[in-house]
Amino acid sequence: MFAFIMRRLGTLGVILFGSSFLLFNLAALSGDPVGELRASNEPDAEARIAAITRSLRLDLPPPVRYFIWLRGILGVFVGKFDLGQTRTSEPVAVAVFDAIPTTLRLVTTAAITAIVLGIAIGIITALRQYSRFDYSMTFFSFLLFSLPIFWVAVLLKQFMAIEFNNWLAEPTIPPTAMITIGLILGLIVAAAIGGDRKKYWRVFFITAAGTVVTLVLMLQLNWFLQPSLGPLGFFAASVGAALLITQLSVGLQHKPSLRAALCMSVLGLVSYYPVNWLFNKENQPLVIFGLLLLTIASAIAASIFFAKIDRGPVVRTAVLTGILTGLLMILDKLMRTWEPYFNTDAVNGRPVPTVGQTNSLLESDDYWISLLDVAMHLVLPTIALTAISFAGYIRFSRGTMLEVLNQDYIRTARAKGLNERTVIMRHAFRNTMIPMTTIIVVDFASILGGAIITERVFGWTGMGTLFNTAINSFDLNLLMGVFFLTASLALVANLVADLLYSVMDPRIRVGAGA
Amino acid sequence: MKKWNRSVKVALAVATTAGLVIGVLSPATAATRSTVVIIDSNAFTSLNPSHNEHNLVLNSNVAYMSGIGFNYYDDKPVLVENKTFGSYKIVSKSPFKVKYTVNKGRIWSDGTPITGVDLLLTHVVSSDQYSIDAGLGDPASEDKEPAFDSGGYSGTYNTLIKNITLAPDRMSVVIEWKKFFPDWEVFAPGVSPVHALVAMAEGKTKLGTNANNVANKNKFLRAFLSKDTDMLRKIGKVWSNSYNVTEVNEKTNPLLLVVNGAMQVESIVKNQRVTLKLNPNYNSGPETSGIEKIVYVTIPDSTAAAQALANKEADYYSALATADSVALLNKIKGITLDGTPEATYEHVEIRSGSAPGGKEYTGPFAGMSQKAKDLRTAALLAWPRQEIIDKIVKPVNSKAVVMNSLQYFPTEPNYGKMIAANELDKFTDGTQAQRTAKALALVKKYYPDAKAGSNSVKIEVLYNTSARRASQAALAKAELSEAGFQVNLNPKSNWGALLTDSTYDVAFYAWGKSALLQTGNFSSYKSADSDSGYLNAKVDEIIGELELGNYNDDQRYSRYLAIEKLMAEDAVSLPIFLWPTLTAVNSDLKNVRPGPLVPNGLWNFWEWTY
Amino acid sequence: MIFGRKRVESADSEQGSIINKETEGLSQGQIVRKKFLQHKAAMIAIFVLSSIVIFVFSALKQKIGPWTYPGWWRYGIEDLSDLTTGCKDGLVGCPTASLRPQWLGGAGIGLGEHPFGQDDIGRDYFALVMRGAQRSLMVTVIIGSIGGVIGTVVGAIAGFYRGKVDSILMRFTDFIITVPAIIIGSVIGFHFGNLGVAFLAFYLGLFAWTGLSRLVRGEFLTLREREFVDAARVAGATNRRIIFKHILPNAVGIIIVSVTLLMSGAILLETALSYLGFGVLPPDVSLGLLISQYQESFTTRPWLFWYPGIFIVTIALCINFIGDGLRDAFDPRQRRQITRKDRRDARVLKKASAHA
Repeated sequence: MFAFIMRRLGTLGVILFGSSFLLFNLAALSGDPVGELRASNEPDAEARIAAITRSLRLDLPPPVRYFIWLRGILGVFVGKFDLGQTRTSEPVAVAVFDAIPTTLRLVTTAAITAIVLGIAIGIITALRQYSRFDYSMTFFSFLLFSLPIFWVAVLLKQFMAIEFNNWLAEPTIPPTAMITIGLILGLIVAAAIGGDRKKYWRVFFITAAGTVVTLVLMLQLNWFLQPSLGPLGFFAASVGAALLITQLSVGLQHKPSLRAALCMSVLGLVSYYPVNWLFNKENQPLVIFGLLLLTIASAIAASIFFAKIDRGPVVRTAVLTGILTGLLMILDKLMRTWEPYFNTDAVNGRPVPTVGQTNSLLESDDYWISLLDVAMHLVLPTIALTAISFAGYIRFSRGTMLEVLNQDYIRTARAKGLNERTVIMRHAFRNTMIPMTTIIVVDFASILGGAIITERVFGWTGMGTLFNTAINSFDLNLLMGVFFLTASLALVANLVADLLYSVMDPRIRVGAGA
Repeated sequence: MKKWNRSVKVALAVATTAGLVIGVLSPATAATRSTVVIIDSNAFTSLNPSHNEHNLVLNSNVAYMSGIGFNYYDDKPVLVENKTFGSYKIVSKSPFKVKYTVNKGRIWSDGTPITGVDLLLTHVVSSDQYSIDAGLGDPASEDKEPAFDSGGYSGTYNTLIKNITLAPDRMSVVIEWKKFFPDWEVFAPGVSPVHALVAMAEGKTKLGTNANNVANKNKFLRAFLSKDTDMLRKIGKVWSNSYNVTEVNEKTNPLLLVVNGAMQVESIVKNQRVTLKLNPNYNSGPETSGIEKIVYVTIPDSTAAAQALANKEADYYSALATADSVALLNKIKGITLDGTPEATYEHVEIRSGSAPGGKEYTGPFAGMSQKAKDLRTAALLAWPRQEIIDKIVKPVNSKAVVMNSLQYFPTEPNYGKMIAANELDKFTDGTQAQRTAKALALVKKYYPDAKAGSNSVKIEVLYNTSARRASQAALAKAELSEAGFQVNLNPKSNWGALLTDSTYDVAFYAWGKSALLQTGNFSSYKSADSDSGYLNAKVDEIIGELELGNYNDDQRYSRYLAIEKLMAEDAVSLPIFLWPTLTAVNSDLKNVRPGPLVPNGLWNFWEWTY
Repeated sequence: MIFGRKRVESADSEQGSIINKETEGLSQGQIVRKKFLQHKAAMIAIFVLSSIVIFVFSALKQKIGPWTYPGWWRYGIEDLSDLTTGCKDGLVGCPTASLRPQWLGGAGIGLGEHPFGQDDIGRDYFALVMRGAQRSLMVTVIIGSIGGVIGTVVGAIAGFYRGKVDSILMRFTDFIITVPAIIIGSVIGFHFGNLGVAFLAFYLGLFAWTGLSRLVRGEFLTLREREFVDAARVAGATNRRIIFKHILPNAVGIIIVSVTLLMSGAILLETALSYLGFGVLPPDVSLGLLISQYQESFTTRPWLFWYPGIFIVTIALCINFIGDGLRDAFDPRQRRQITRKDRRDARVLKKASAHA
């Protein structure tokens, strides 16, 4: 194994050398850095052409310039790693490392949402293969998969930002729209839950009616301008989360887990006001981190109290419930921050932004307002990125799940009388995750390369923008800097995926026969 | 019951108070707006746009707002003397000398007085000879940058200015030219905070005391006069490197932010925005009227920018517009559109010979024979300029007209007089159908069986790959084929380098201007510089006069007219339209009056007000 | 609830008997064909896609070798005509197609002169969209076939021979993975200008096969260990025969599916490159170029934005559904949809056998 890894890392170096040489020369051939100036009739054009020729060493042929660049890279062995400077005389390393957090912020939320949603929907569609739900999700996911992202972005900005902000100035929903929303939601939920025809229609009507009532209530309570869960809403949501997590992880009939999870919800309700008091203190990141530790500690305490034997699953359930409850509390706090945020000068009643990473005018010391600002700027790009990428996860997890469900060991598990929950969550789901993991690893590496188009349409400056700038301004050093990082990441991710696969699936040996 | 009543009263009181508070607060917040958010497509890279590699529009705009000198262009465009800052006058005709004087009492943002010493740096960063003499490196060298990596070297300043001297009172400098230069006014020396440069060169990171600053100023003067290579190199390092910041926050060296303009950089968030605030010590130029903060945000995508404007995330956006962005912005309430064009115009160039050093041109338009002239005339007659305006420019700027003078823009006062006399009217007479018929008749003289679609004359047309150019090319191709031409389209992304290539018979592209020079738009038609191989001795001679002569407006006009007539006769070039730049501004923002020359809409930012 | 146990089990047994009955006495090819033909979504997609292909390629005049095909549409992409006036908001060039009959106050049902409207300079937008769709389909097919062939060959050889060959080929694949498509696009755009879409697609195809080759390799690695391969080898079959006669037919499912994914990805790749200015260049037209050029038209001249968009989405959607159908058909363990008729038949059969 070790020898295998070392060998792979060695070849990785060779590959990087080869592809960087190729890329450098291709890129050098792909444009004329002084082309615009040649057409200019400004008197100083010639002097500027000469200056650019000098600073970019255009007098040397590209292969020679490549080796000048490579010398900087190889400096790593003598402790002088040098990626060179961009055309705007910034060290490339700085430019690249400054772009990484932006890219991470942009893609992480979207990637996690896409993975969680995609896998969940994929598995449900596999369990309900050829149902109405399966068909509509298949259609929907293919539809999203087929959309160009800048197209999606233009639509999102128009309807979810500009029109929504206009609407917020005077939030009313006509009854017909309300009923339509209710019917659509009803159809989706009923199809997802499934069951016989009677159950289907029952679920459909309950959801539809519930949606309409909720919407009316929201409007009556002016919820769109002053949203909050309130202690009761928060408690209800937390209990819901407790039930869901318990059901998924061990089943509702497992009393100790259920009790521990519900206990966490109650603890959440009890601490609602104290925690909100803490939320208004200074140094919020520390406070939140402290609360997280406290939550985990109390979850463990609760499980020790409720379970005498076999505490593992109980702890897991309680901790997850606790964290989810905490997130709900943060959500509630953010909702209550909405109104002050909405009324700041900088936001001026238009809370959904179309572009940028933060509001350029917002000067608030309030942690929650800044957090909400960051979150609001993430809304549209996240939706766009999620929409186009989660289709792949749906298709893949559906396919894998179907394959797994047809395996003998699933039949065996059923035959020995395990209940369906255990069969699916413990046997089928885990085996589905093996190939999914490797795909996720490779995907993660490639998204770090930056979402060139997404960044552009939403005005973010991450790796994708750097890459695009580098190509458009013929900035070879910058281009190679970005390339160096993304290519190494992609190669390493492929290696990691291969290794993970062999670790998780003992039938596969790495480097077999090689 | 009583209790209940009381709680109702309390509730009512609370609600009323809350309502009042909200009622009082919200209009108040709307009225006190004093910030302008401007969209720019690039990211900020340097506080020093004179640096060779940082000559970007955004950098220059930030520098324009934070620094002001002897003059600026207004919207007419006229070069306006900034009398608040200082004055200048010609002190000697021969040798030609101009004296620039800074008014007493002008100060930098850190309180240091501005003197003539602050004007000397211009010479260091523009004169190749000084750079060589002071041991700072030869700016024309092919492999090593000079100590000051300036974009100003090797230009007109270097060629024509002999030296600069400080007057004894240290408030004025005298610039001596090698010979008379008509556009001397444009070359007014810039003003630089040399005391801050010296302080930074010595490694200081805090603003100095007044005494320190004066001492530093003297240190610079000594170094300048004695050509102290070590000191100047240190300063050069600061000038070339330290100002290139992409981030400004409380950790930034405050010496970098010493300016004399109305606005001062407050903070810069890398790749996102530049925030400028009022300079409290500003007294070098026109007074400001109410804007306290100007924020540049970076949005590269034009649709994204328009949508941001629609979502009220910005107040000012200026770009080369498309019909759709105009329609989109028109729909937005609270946005005012201004269609003042930039000083950039589209033109079509016909090759008549090979470019200097290019391979021989043997195409249908080669030479000055009658046949070549007729064919060129035919191509220009059939070039559907009116249709291009109607279909491509008018949707953006409904007032657009065909530009029919090579020198004057339709927005300039001399334009009417010029087009009546310059004989380019043969390319606008009648309808396009009549002109195309004339063109066909001219082609028929040499290709008797020419008719619409006969493809008698094969020509190669070069242009870049943008959509707007593709549309123009499609229109031209269709119309020229009516006159018997076969047009082969060559959209190239490396078109700039191909302009000198004799393979292409026709090219159309844009020329911009950033200053009003006496040679006008003609310097590229000199036979020594002409990419399209234009050679007319008379034209060369007149351009030569314009380069050095001291003329008044009428004398200049008559020379422009002479060139235009000669070129109309030779049929080598035709202007098409001014670029339709669109400036969209929050309607509440008053006094925005974009001008054609850089910095376009920003020139009078000090007059902006809500 | 999500885990409805009873339903799954009953469906299982019922389905089992139906499928078994259906596949009795059929070869694998026949089973696949049969299953595919019964995949409703895929069949609809095939129908729609082939209609689009025929529609789009027959619309415009084009030269095929020495012959000129006239095309049934009256305009070509270079034909200029006067801009339609009388549109809303003082716009020009709006679509003339109308679905509202005259007695409802509309222009009557019909296409009119320019059913999809016109672009800025008066070219017929229907013709442009047709040409764009031709280009996009061409890109799809070229990238799909070149990428498919290279990916399959590389993956098959690596997976079959393993060892040194495998590591060399897989490292070569890694090498190709690191070269970004946008660079290829920009190099070609800069140097060759308008050499054409086919050329661009060809080069993109040369770099688009990496994912496919990894999948095929995995499949070959598994298949070569299977009993039937051993049997063939013992019987003295050559490598060539084993690859083509034994392994390839079993791997063809995954290959076809990946190729369809590659193709629907290609149409979006072309769109993305055109958006960034590195794809198809004017005066040539592609769907991606049209929507990126007219993305600003979305609220003002929506037809310029929607029509090419609808074509892109429809084509990509069809390709994906066909791929989905093929995937299901090639998977021997995959259950197909049980229709009500099947259930009825099965019950009848059961009853009959019980009676017997």
